[in-house]
Amino acid sequence: MNKSNRDVPRPPHWAERLLGWLHPLATLEEVQGDLDELYRYWYFRAGKRQASFRYVLNVVSVLPPFVRSRSTQPEYSQFSLLHPDMIRNYVKIAWRNLVKSRFYSLINITGLTACLAVGLLILLWVQDERSFDRFHRQSANIYRLQNRVGTGSSQQIWTTTVAPIANFAKREVPEVKEAVRLAYNGAYTLFKYKDKTFNEENTSFTDPSLFSVFDFDLIQGNPANPFPDNNAIVLTETTAKRYFGDDNPIGKIVTANDKSAFTVSGIIRDFPKNSTIQGDMFLPISRLFKNMYANSKDGKNMDSDFSQFSYDTYLLLQPGSPVNGLADKLRNIHLRNKPDDTDLTYLLQPLPDMHLYKADGTNGGIETVRMFSVIALLILVIACINYVNLSTARSMLRSKEVSMRKIVGAARLQLFMQFLIETTLLFSLATVLAIGLMYGLLPMYNQLSGKDLVINFSDYRIWQIIGLTILGTLIASSIYPALLLSSFEPLKALKGNISARLSGALFRKVLVVIQFAVSVILIASTFIISNQLQYIRSKELGYDKTHVLGFFMRDMGKHYDAVKAELLHQPGVAAVTRASSNIVSLGGQTGDNEWDGKEQGETMMMRPVAIDKDFIPFFKMKLQNGANFTGAVSDSMHFILNETAVKAARIKNPIGKRFKLWKTNGTIIGVVKDFHFASMRKKIEPAIFYYNPTQLGAIYIKTTGKDAEQVIASAQRSWKQYNADYPFTYTFLDDSFNNLYKSEQKTGVLFNIFATIAILISCLGLFGLATYTAQVRTREIGVRKVLGATVTGIIQLLAKDFIKLVLIAIVVGVPVAWYAMSQWLHDFAYRIDIQWWVFALAGLLAVGIALLTVSFQAVKAALMNPVKSLRSD
Amino acid sequence: MRRTYLGEFEEIVLLMVAILDGEAYGVAVSQEIEQHTGRLVTFGTVHNTLIRLEEKGFVISRLGGATTERGGRRKRLFTVTALGNRALQDIQQLRNQLWQLLPPATLKLSGL
Repeated sequence: MNKSNRDVPRPPHWAERLLGWLHPLATLEEVQGDLDELYRYWYFRAGKRQASFRYVLNVVSVLPPFVRSRSTQPEYSQFSLLHPDMIRNYVKIAWRNLVKSRFYSLINITGLTACLAVGLLILLWVQDERSFDRFHRQSANIYRLQNRVGTGSSQQIWTTTVAPIANFAKREVPEVKEAVRLAYNGAYTLFKYKDKTFNEENTSFTDPSLFSVFDFDLIQGNPANPFPDNNAIVLTETTAKRYFGDDNPIGKIVTANDKSAFTVSGIIRDFPKNSTIQGDMFLPISRLFKNMYANSKDGKNMDSDFSQFSYDTYLLLQPGSPVNGLADKLRNIHLRNKPDDTDLTYLLQPLPDMHLYKADGTNGGIETVRMFSVIALLILVIACINYVNLSTARSMLRSKEVSMRKIVGAARLQLFMQFLIETTLLFSLATVLAIGLMYGLLPMYNQLSGKDLVINFSDYRIWQIIGLTILGTLIASSIYPALLLSSFEPLKALKGNISARLSGALFRKVLVVIQFAVSVILIASTFIISNQLQYIRSKELGYDKTHVLGFFMRDMGKHYDAVKAELLHQPGVAAVTRASSNIVSLGGQTGDNEWDGKEQGETMMMRPVAIDKDFIPFFKMKLQNGANFTGAVSDSMHFILNETAVKAARIKNPIGKRFKLWKTNGTIIGVVKDFHFASMRKKIEPAIFYYNPTQLGAIYIKTTGKDAEQVIASAQRSWKQYNADYPFTYTFLDDSFNNLYKSEQKTGVLFNIFATIAILISCLGLFGLATYTAQVRTREIGVRKVLGATVTGIIQLLAKDFIKLVLIAIVVGVPVAWYAMSQWLHDFAYRIDIQWWVFALAGLLAVGIALLTVSFQAVKAALMNPVKSLRSD
Repeated sequence: MRRTYLGEFEEIVLLMVAILDGEAYGVAVSQEIEQHTGRLVTFGTVHNTLIRLEEKGFVISRLGGATTERGGRRKRLFTVTALGNRALQDIQQLRNQLWQLLPPATLKLSGL
């Protein structure tokens, strides 16, 4: 405001400000001016108060919501791709088109919905698998300590290591910030609180650092000192609830089976499902050491016992510290304390790799994750191809519309936008339906995949997946049709010069070939996978596991002879024997052995099993050489090796040769034929049977196959007699054998389902395409029929084009399938050969499916009355 | 017959714009209304009506040159369009026709 205006009366300042803030910008200047002028007019006529009052009143009358805002229309509308009017028009036209061609819209939406739903479900699974152990804040700096042991073919990796190395590492290696050990708790299994007793199977001894290195924070208790003494115990929330209900668990006392009392000192949240470390209860590891070494006679203690490889050990490293060289430092520490472990080396596996990679860093579960990612991608690609094919094939119908639009001035970019928006509309519909479908399928899917996936829309990662997937498919399937459709030249199109079969035909053919190549690959893979799974389950195991149930005897073991005698009296019991471990998957390994001819520095890792004298006949194992144990006292000096062990040790004529296992210097009395005591993914390893009746904790009962119920009941009676407090659990060996392949089985089932869906959706696309072709050629068919073509001739004419494409697809698909499947089979130590007939069958099936799909339309077209089809001209 | 409905107040404002003949803007119109009809209307009412008339195509507006008296702010000046002119004439004509139809007795009874 300049000086000359100072004498001019001013309206209330705040009202002016209010006007400036709230009045629409487009008319602000003129209204401010007008009101100023009015104020002066009132001021001079009625005085300041009246003027101010009226000014305020009038200001209010031009504030929202009273004021009408002037629409700011430029004199000529600017050229804009996304003018709201045009977008409205695009959406309207798109909707009309969808409704007009209901059949094709239905095919497109069904295909897209199914593909998006299935693709997203698979990707959810993939995301869950990849999220394992990554949720810890420090997960990038946590490593699992492992040992590579043994030499030559018996070399292996143990994922558990010795206890003292953790403390040594913390003390002597500057890169190691903290260490956590976990040891399985087999000592205390039965816990009582008041009248509640639970058999806890998932408990561990651990270092207090478990709760600070990992993100398993204490929600109750003292984080600085989770275990105040050796009688402390930390529970998960759910476990605490089991014992104490809603009472505050801290300070409560639970008693274990040997009457030792534990005081609850902390509560942690339940472990996330995507954590490899799981458990219900945690006891201080110092308690374990006290139990182990308090009365130790050989002078070992927790800092010197370098021979017990049974501790899961995790190291937290300083951020950014190099891992290389760390393993060597640890090895040097180990050798300093135990010089004879020369075959041993240390390995560090990053925590996030534990779930998907094997201990040696090679591919484990990641193979399945990759396989499923590829399938998800394929399914989405198939959906895109369907859409692209159908919309380009049918683009002729739109050529006139496009031409008219161009003639009245549409720019190519505008047409491009139009078709883009059309695709987007269809995709939005499909997305909504797909999310609904996902919700519906989720419970079934969880059951199949053994996961607990939830669709939680407040989780940003869900949106990441959904957003990326939909955006990706949208882009892939919208660009080409939009380009093609917007490229028509109006003059040619209006003259009808674009032939229905030529435009974009090559591109479409390529897409159909890709689709069917994918189908061929999936069919062949399905066959090979199910063959392999069939093979590993039916392969001769080297022992007979039918109708055998087994369990660990606990206190019953001391009364084995009585139990056995009683059981054998029961109808339905065919035989009873015992051993030291579960024959389906033997635990424990040792390299503490010697034989004549063992080389310097050689270590053969073998699985030792103590067995009873009737074990070998019980399981119908075959002795290749020598004799079985007889039960005589001298048997404690006798060993039976498996073929692999003999081969690995290079012992010629093994019977009677010297063999030393641990401290027992004995002789080999027999060689048992190889049998599978682990998953078929693994090669048979060296194993050794020895005779030691005190170690035979596992009982095996063979039933005749008929009265299994009674046998179980009588076994339970014996159990209750000696193990009153413990629940009776048993497994049939057939079941535990199946459990070995549970994940393979699940993968197989899921693969079958996904493959079927992919193939079905390809067919849907082909069906649409065939329908369209038949429609376009209605008149041609009519003319041909009038001129005397037969129905079969016409079917041939229509099907021929497609069959040709499918044949090309087979040629493309077979090598890919062969390569992919040999990669997959590579993971199994025992596998089937890929046979040519699998591919022949897959090809035949693909042709069959294509024929079936196409011929439906072809037959319909061929049977049509030519009078009808020609009348319209 | 009439293409657009014109409200009573709209009609008055349109007439004022016509009367002011090129010099019509918010202040002038509202002062004229006050003077000629004695009605006190808020400025917002006039403002809104002018905008509405313009949307209907009865008037067009342009921003006038800057003046010193309004702190240099420009006026928006309104002029009646051909369509507006036509509308006014239509109304006039219609009223006249209707007046013609009025029986003379009614006029007398109502005291005119």
